[in-house]
Amino acid sequence: MGATDLSRLSRRDFLKNGFVFGAGAAGLAAGYAAVPDVFARAVYGGKLDGVMNDRVLVMIQLAGGADGLQTVIPLQDPKLRALRPQLSQAANTALPLDASFGLNRSMRGVKALWDQGKVAIVHGVGYPQPNYSHFDSIRIWETGDPLRRQQDGWLGKTIAANYDSAGHPLVGCACGSSEVPGALRDLDATLSVINGQNTFKFNGADAERAMGVIYNGTPGIYGALFDTSVFSARDTMARLRLAREKYTPRAAYNDNVNLVYSSRNQLAAALQLAAQLIISGVGAKILHVTLGGFDTHDQQLARLDSLMGYVDGAISAFHADLAAYGMSDRVLIATWSEFGRRAAETANGGTDHGAAAPMFLIGDTVKGGFYGEAPSLGALDRGGSLKYSVDFRQVYQEILESHLRVDSQEVLGKAFERIPAVRTA
Amino acid sequence: MATARPSATAAPSMGAAAASASPTVPAVMTNATSINIGNLQGWWLDWMTKSPTPFAERMTLFWHGHFTSDYRKVGTNSPAIYWQNLTWRRMALGDLRSMLLKVTPDLAMLRYLDLAASTGRAPNENYARELLELFTMGVGSYTEDDVKAAAKALAGWRLPMRTEPTAQTGIFDPRRAFAAPVTFLGKTGTFNTESVVDTILANDATAPFMVRQFLTSFVTPSPSDAYVARLADRFRRSRYDTKTLMRDIFTSPEFVAPEMFRALIKSPTDFMVSAAKALGATNLSGTIRQYGSTLGQNMFDPPSVAGWGEGASWISSNTMLQRANFVTAALGTLRTTPSAARAHERHLDSVLAQGTVNELNLARDDKSRWFAVFASPEFQLK
Repeated sequence: MGATDLSRLSRRDFLKNGFVFGAGAAGLAAGYAAVPDVFARAVYGGKLDGVMNDRVLVMIQLAGGADGLQTVIPLQDPKLRALRPQLSQAANTALPLDASFGLNRSMRGVKALWDQGKVAIVHGVGYPQPNYSHFDSIRIWETGDPLRRQQDGWLGKTIAANYDSAGHPLVGCACGSSEVPGALRDLDATLSVINGQNTFKFNGADAERAMGVIYNGTPGIYGALFDTSVFSARDTMARLRLAREKYTPRAAYNDNVNLVYSSRNQLAAALQLAAQLIISGVGAKILHVTLGGFDTHDQQLARLDSLMGYVDGAISAFHADLAAYGMSDRVLIATWSEFGRRAAETANGGTDHGAAAPMFLIGDTVKGGFYGEAPSLGALDRGGSLKYSVDFRQVYQEILESHLRVDSQEVLGKAFERIPAVRTA
Repeated sequence: MATARPSATAAPSMGAAAASASPTVPAVMTNATSINIGNLQGWWLDWMTKSPTPFAERMTLFWHGHFTSDYRKVGTNSPAIYWQNLTWRRMALGDLRSMLLKVTPDLAMLRYLDLAASTGRAPNENYARELLELFTMGVGSYTEDDVKAAAKALAGWRLPMRTEPTAQTGIFDPRRAFAAPVTFLGKTGTFNTESVVDTILANDATAPFMVRQFLTSFVTPSPSDAYVARLADRFRRSRYDTKTLMRDIFTSPEFVAPEMFRALIKSPTDFMVSAAKALGATNLSGTIRQYGSTLGQNMFDPPSVAGWGEGASWISSNTMLQRANFVTAALGTLRTTPSAARAHERHLDSVLAQGTVNELNLARDDKSRWFAVFASPEFQLK
């Protein structure tokens, strides 16, 4: 070993294989770190004395821009019919919440929780100068920064600032995902990503042992990142084994739903995994799940009804499961989407990208009811979108301060007017 | 076997590319011919492992991530996303100006970033913004007014109509365009797509931004300003010829400097294709496609208009586990396992960390040795 002319070898590889782009390493010995170990600091930088309470947050992302007017439906406003000749049919079948608003007909489970005072609906959530690009607006919501200057996610920052995630990689976990969602991303936080609990394991009899041997004091700028990730994978596998022993679902989760069209259906499985992590006490604090398909440029009446039915079923099962284990008083569920949709419908029964939309906060710690001011259908912005009345960071602040009980300014940079949707005592 | 070269000019040759994994495309293809995305993904991955010109595939993948489009928004009721792939292969080392003039009315791009829905009367800013922000200049080098002006200046392109089934690119309709002057990047006048592109290429921000994209994909996550500036100057003077740029990059002293060794993390595709090539395995495209989804890099399905992330974002507990599982799966498909005796020299440059050495010494057979090589931290890096 070591006698080969490495730069020549690499260049030959590169020319022959195209995919091997290692620059030559002539003169470097086996411990090949030559650059500051930034990642080592980043990965091990978690807090030693984290916030000690048993609160858990579950964020549900409705990706694609979920329409608000077909979810929390104005019942009395004649302008709805004028703007949406087809989609306003949803008002006829809505589940009334009060005289003015009704819930999408598919959301019977959430309606039942509303009747128990466990659902807060925040009207008109958005931010100044709405951005109509999915990507930009997702990033704005993920980083909590409408100016798009921040890189780290608001949940990742929360973890980095408050919890010992280096020792407990399940503190922050994306359930039902293959990669770290932007909201959880932060180099100072160690995170877990569990696509499916049945697939989260090393295949092959010897792989786990071999990975443990290989990833042990790995040198180089990525060494700590690699070692921590492999450690975290093995640790998570062990915790999942433990979690499986301690938990059997006490509610019916169902992903066998017919959506008009969508990607993979695994919201219920992802929430069941979240319940398992919470109930089995493996240290989960902040969990994130995503359902796509909300970019309803066409056929919105049927599509959104089916999607909301799916969301409703999954949330209902999740809450019932937690309640059956006596843990629903610890868990807050919040929904978010990058934007709502345009007030007027398009010719093919859909809607274009819009701005403000309602957010749902669900759980035993919630003070049920409406918050914020519902956007007026008579005062749209220049582009025909609903104007926001509540900055989404006001809702983040309430989640952080009143539910998780951590310092929100460290994450959001400043204080906002309170939306008192979560009980503080 | 028929020649396995995907041809830009003769679409049906994709059917002849490799009988086992060709996307089922009919002999006669119009712009309304439906395609099967799974077959298309399999075809490309298959070709990456087999092509006699792998660098062309690496460049095609680079452009696919740069001028990106995803099949979900573009749709599969048209070969647009496939044609876009052929374009990037054909122009893999082309000049930036030709590429920008090609991508603007590209059928997939017209749908993906809504330029087809933009008119002078109601400009849609989506493409104009990303053209400046992600494709050429980078955020901070232009204003919101420049975005609005570019949106007006670029309006006029539309998708082919049913009566135009042979059109393979967008059609410019002057009635949809914006006729009045605008002020764009400090110049006032009546612009069209060509003059928008030329104004961008005349801007000082463009060459450094583009060079940085290449360097962070091929050399280092943090190139120095001096390195960028030197290459950018020659890039601009070569009239943005990417062939010149790539030659400059690969012959630069920085490219072989010790601190650039293993400075980058292989993307899932880099990682899996390089493993398949190391094994000489030609039947792994299905496994690569399956694990591409698990590892977060599906062809024609980037997570955002910014393409795929680079570097540390590829590594998580989930992806390290699944990279190991890919290796297990790939080795499981082999009928005979090639000798791994010299794999650490050939594929890890004989520069190994202690953990990899330890496992190689423990390994009793070729499969276990290959596992140690491919699952090693060294092999995740480039």
